[in-house]
Amino acid sequence: MRGTLLYIGQRLVLIAVTTVLVSSIVFILLHQIPGNAFLNETRTSPEALAADLRHYGLDKPLPTQYVAWVSGVLHGNLGESLVNRGVMITPLLIRETSVSFTVGFFAILITIGVGLLLGVVAALRQNTWIDYGASSAAVVGYSIPNFVIAIFMLLIFGHYFYDWTQGTVFYNVGWGDWTQIPVPAIALGLPYASYVARLTRASMLETIRTDYVRTAWAKGLKARIVVLRHALRNALIPVVTILGPLITGIITGSVVIENIFGIPGLGKEFVQSILARDYNIVIGVFTFYAALVGLANLTVDVIYPALDPRIRY
Amino acid sequence: MAQAAPVAQPDVELTYEVPEQVTLLTDAWRRIRRNRLALVGLVIIAVLFIVALISIFWTPYPTWLQAVGPTYQPPSAAHPLGLDQAGRDILSRIMGGALITIQVGIGSAIILSAIGIPLGLLAGFYRGKVDTVVSFFINIWYGIPDLLVALILVFVLSDALHLIPRGVFVIIVAFSLTRWMDMARLMRGQALALREREFVEAARMSGARDFALLFRHIFPNALGPIIVQATFAIPAAVLFEAFLSFLGLGLPPPTPSWGAMAADGYHGMDFAPHIVLAPTIALSITLMAFNWVGDGLRDAFDPRMRR
Repeated sequence: MRGTLLYIGQRLVLIAVTTVLVSSIVFILLHQIPGNAFLNETRTSPEALAADLRHYGLDKPLPTQYVAWVSGVLHGNLGESLVNRGVMITPLLIRETSVSFTVGFFAILITIGVGLLLGVVAALRQNTWIDYGASSAAVVGYSIPNFVIAIFMLLIFGHYFYDWTQGTVFYNVGWGDWTQIPVPAIALGLPYASYVARLTRASMLETIRTDYVRTAWAKGLKARIVVLRHALRNALIPVVTILGPLITGIITGSVVIENIFGIPGLGKEFVQSILARDYNIVIGVFTFYAALVGLANLTVDVIYPALDPRIRY
Repeated sequence: MAQAAPVAQPDVELTYEVPEQVTLLTDAWRRIRRNRLALVGLVIIAVLFIVALISIFWTPYPTWLQAVGPTYQPPSAAHPLGLDQAGRDILSRIMGGALITIQVGIGSAIILSAIGIPLGLLAGFYRGKVDTVVSFFINIWYGIPDLLVALILVFVLSDALHLIPRGVFVIIVAFSLTRWMDMARLMRGQALALREREFVEAARMSGARDFALLFRHIFPNALGPIIVQATFAIPAAVLFEAFLSFLGLGLPPPTPSWGAMAADGYHGMDFAPHIVLAPTIALSITLMAFNWVGDGLRDAFDPRMRR
């Protein structure tokens, strides 16, 4: 237990270092831009421009700005929006993270749920039409980008359902109602479900041929117990390893999904602030992303030994 | 048998089964031929290449030409895939998009290999400090959403710094700069394993220089996994381009990028779904084909699959 805590502590430090390092790259890249952030805007007078630059500390040399920014990040302060004066970035992003988290959480549930179900069923019914159906779905599914699935779902649930049901049952783009969660979550999660399904099927096929599973059957245990407790638990181990990349994928995917479905989350903010040249928010969102990916990977690594007691730190 | 054979018999008829000498690629081809999905993928890719080649010299209409007919016109005999929101011929733009897709995919696979392979080779071969530095970068890079860094790179390199004009090349560069780690990690692992093998030892004994060891002995022996990795980089790069262009951060209009075409059609989806369907289907089929070929190659190069 103490070892685990120490491990988590070390990893947290590493995550903080990585987050600062990676967002420093973005910070430095974005501050290479010649001129200043207000170059494209018309200011009434040079004095007003100078006042704005002073307000954001942009008149100071880059190293000074950088030190100020790093100490801000370490104190949880990501600065102020360049476009909307007075909007502090940290609370804004925390609010948006909760929205993104909701969608992402359901997306991961769908990925894992659908993927495990398809993979387990395909493995248990190997070389039957169920297996072929599930495997072909996986083979096709993992090549279809999430924004393509999103467009198709929007077409079906937003447009055709509206026509068929005379406007009673349909998906409306936006955010605020729980009925608006499933469609984007499925669009976000489904492409990765096929990865999970392929992996689960392969590892299930190996596991159900092992001696201890045969013993479990021979003891006359119920199918549910054999499959869930003996076979699946061990088959899950390789699947858990892809959870880290999966979460990164979901985060990247949310950038496009949130823009398609008009969800006010981090991903929408990221693209909108790039288009609006609000560099402070771009760097802020990126810092959030780096920290989130690090924390997600850490969570996965902590769950891992719970599934597989052979792994110790 | 052995007991029955007299010991002193002079000419024992020994028949060895001499395995036929085949090169890596011939061997892989023989096995990939049995993989139907991979073959279908190869055919699709061949078609894509042909279409892209044709589009250099000829498309039914120029890809940028607006108002060749009524806007949003559904598919007809004159325009098999219809016209888009600006009255451009979608078939022509799909053909042009095939060329862009191939440029982005192949270009990224080459540049990413050019970054990842030398780094991985050096790290795995020299170990020690070189390895520590390379592995440090690999590990840091794995902890970040790489596509989003690439997105910022495209933006900074072309829009902000004006170093590289916004186009196919900047996308290739940004993608390769953020995705070289898979290749480097693979090459590092291969180099670590191969440098201990007898044939490398023998070459070293006979006075081969490091350069020869690296590129004549270690690299060619890792070619199989490298080709597989490079093949999977192609659909990833294609997807990245589509993703960027769909968000309006990729190739500028009127470039016939499939991602940008999907974004164009997305707004008129309610009444003209054909605009969005053509590029998304083309993109999905292309990604599928490359993934199938990648899977096929992986199985073909995998020694465990050898039967």
